[in-house]
Amino acid sequence: MALYDPVNSSLVDANPEKGTFRVHRDAYRSDEVFKQEKELIFSKCWLYLGHESELEKKGDFRSRRVGGRDLIFIKDKKGVDRAFYNTCTHRAAKICRVAKGNARTFTCPYHGWVFSSEGELKSQNASTGYVEGINDDGHLDLRPVERLEDYRGFYFVNFNPNAISLHDYLADARSAIDALCDQTEGRQIILSGDHSYTIRANYKLLCENSYDGYHLFPVHASYFDYLKDQMAGTEGEKLIEQALKSYNTAGQARALGNGHAILDSFVPTGRPVAQWLPSLGLDTKDEVEAKYASLVERYGQDRADYIANTQKNLVIFPNLVINDILSCTVRTIEPESENFIRVHAWAMGPEDESEKLRAIRLDNFVSFLGPAGFGSPDDIEMLEICQDAAGHTPLEWSEISKGFGKADDPLVAEGPPDDEIQMQAYWTMWDRVMRGIETLEEK
Amino acid sequence: MTLTRAQAEDFLFHEAELLDDWLLEEWADLYTDKSVYEVASPSCEDPVNADPDNTLFLISDRIDRIRGRAKRLLKPTAHAEFPRSKTRHMVSNVRVVSSDDGTTRTRANFAVFRTKEDTSTVYMGEMHHTIVEDGGALRILSKRCILDLNSLYNQGRLTIIL
Repeated sequence: MALYDPVNSSLVDANPEKGTFRVHRDAYRSDEVFKQEKELIFSKCWLYLGHESELEKKGDFRSRRVGGRDLIFIKDKKGVDRAFYNTCTHRAAKICRVAKGNARTFTCPYHGWVFSSEGELKSQNASTGYVEGINDDGHLDLRPVERLEDYRGFYFVNFNPNAISLHDYLADARSAIDALCDQTEGRQIILSGDHSYTIRANYKLLCENSYDGYHLFPVHASYFDYLKDQMAGTEGEKLIEQALKSYNTAGQARALGNGHAILDSFVPTGRPVAQWLPSLGLDTKDEVEAKYASLVERYGQDRADYIANTQKNLVIFPNLVINDILSCTVRTIEPESENFIRVHAWAMGPEDESEKLRAIRLDNFVSFLGPAGFGSPDDIEMLEICQDAAGHTPLEWSEISKGFGKADDPLVAEGPPDDEIQMQAYWTMWDRVMRGIETLEEK
Repeated sequence: MTLTRAQAEDFLFHEAELLDDWLLEEWADLYTDKSVYEVASPSCEDPVNADPDNTLFLISDRIDRIRGRAKRLLKPTAHAEFPRSKTRHMVSNVRVVSSDDGTTRTRANFAVFRTKEDTSTVYMGEMHHTIVEDGGALRILSKRCILDLNSLYNQGRLTIIL
């Protein structure tokens, strides 16, 4: 099989005359490509770290792996959110070995060095033998991540000090995040609990899948059967049929710049904010409709309809997925190798929602989205059989042509929900970053 | 009537046997209209007392979804379990925790070995059952599985019934 040569060839082959958009399968299966991605994608792009609501009290922390680096995300004792590399400046030992907690200081287990929540070295345990003032220049303080910025409470890190701002990087994905945050007059928070699991596939296969409308019917037929069984004999049954019939035409896939894209679609499962459907239960109708009325009042009819009624699958390049559908997931895809990923998923919801709607939101999540639900495991199975077969067959190219050519620049194209223009946007950005055409740096 | 340890054990073995034989609809018939089947998330801080109404679980099925899960998993379009896994449920250390008024609560250790294609993994932990007598037969009012795991990094996902 051909080995990727980033200087002389591209793994993305877009041919407007033929109407084809192809991706070389080395992009999914080559260890060599993965090594380059670590350097060019995961060291240059903004990567999601966590949400501000996860750190409520001073000293609250989370330890996370982001782009192959173990980090500590902490609210320091003055209330400032920070991110440090999880390593002692003395001899490299990990100073934080639990996933979450609250701490005023971190003590390295190896030689007992103590660091404050602001990262300062407070004690070397026994400081005799070191010259006085050895840390006057701060080089033994915890190393902060090069860049840490947030957009509406979503914190991202960047390991490149010269990177463009998160604001510029997100481009029109900001308006998609706005549509999520604006659902509530209060704020969106990460709810209690999480899911962490693995998939034996390339991270880009899960990105593709996360907003792929084309796979919905073949992969999720058994889920729709289940929904129809649940709704049999109710007015919800007809709504399901209608929504499924109009799925391909009623929404839109839209590229949002810089490789980000969103799928706006209509799927016949109610949204706790703020689309009441019979599947949510009669006793929630008043509350959900009141939320809808509040949206109309705050944002006008069109924006309210968009916020309330569209199911949104958003992929922020290169590895953050926000599925704001029947429930809302925030999901990071952490590549361990070219064919193995860790997935970490959290449920998000408005802080001010009622117990009843919160319960429905979580129940919706568990029913479809988790690693034990009725949806995600079937997706995962597809990704693993793609990865497996791509690795042992001589076929060189994968076809991602559906809807190609709707715009001169794939980074800003749009099309119906079952197009592949969202993936074309992703791969176009990927190709530009990998080949150094786009550096994502301040000029 | 309340159950002795040996009776409770026989019943839990029976449930395990149905699952290993993929008699999933018969398994769902062990549950009543008010039953729940739950698996707490590995990261859950208090999995015994956690409430799926305000904390994310791996599985929190009421009876409609218990039956729906059984029905779905038997279809070839449930891709995650096609071809089907082989499973072996090991149930041990069965204890009757309390019993009164025809309700018996049990705790038991479990290990479920699963082979999907050429990969074998294990799910282990403790399960809590509430067993009732209903129309002359024993049924499960609730079952909560608590995994001795910190994540599903080794198992990948949970598509079988524990």
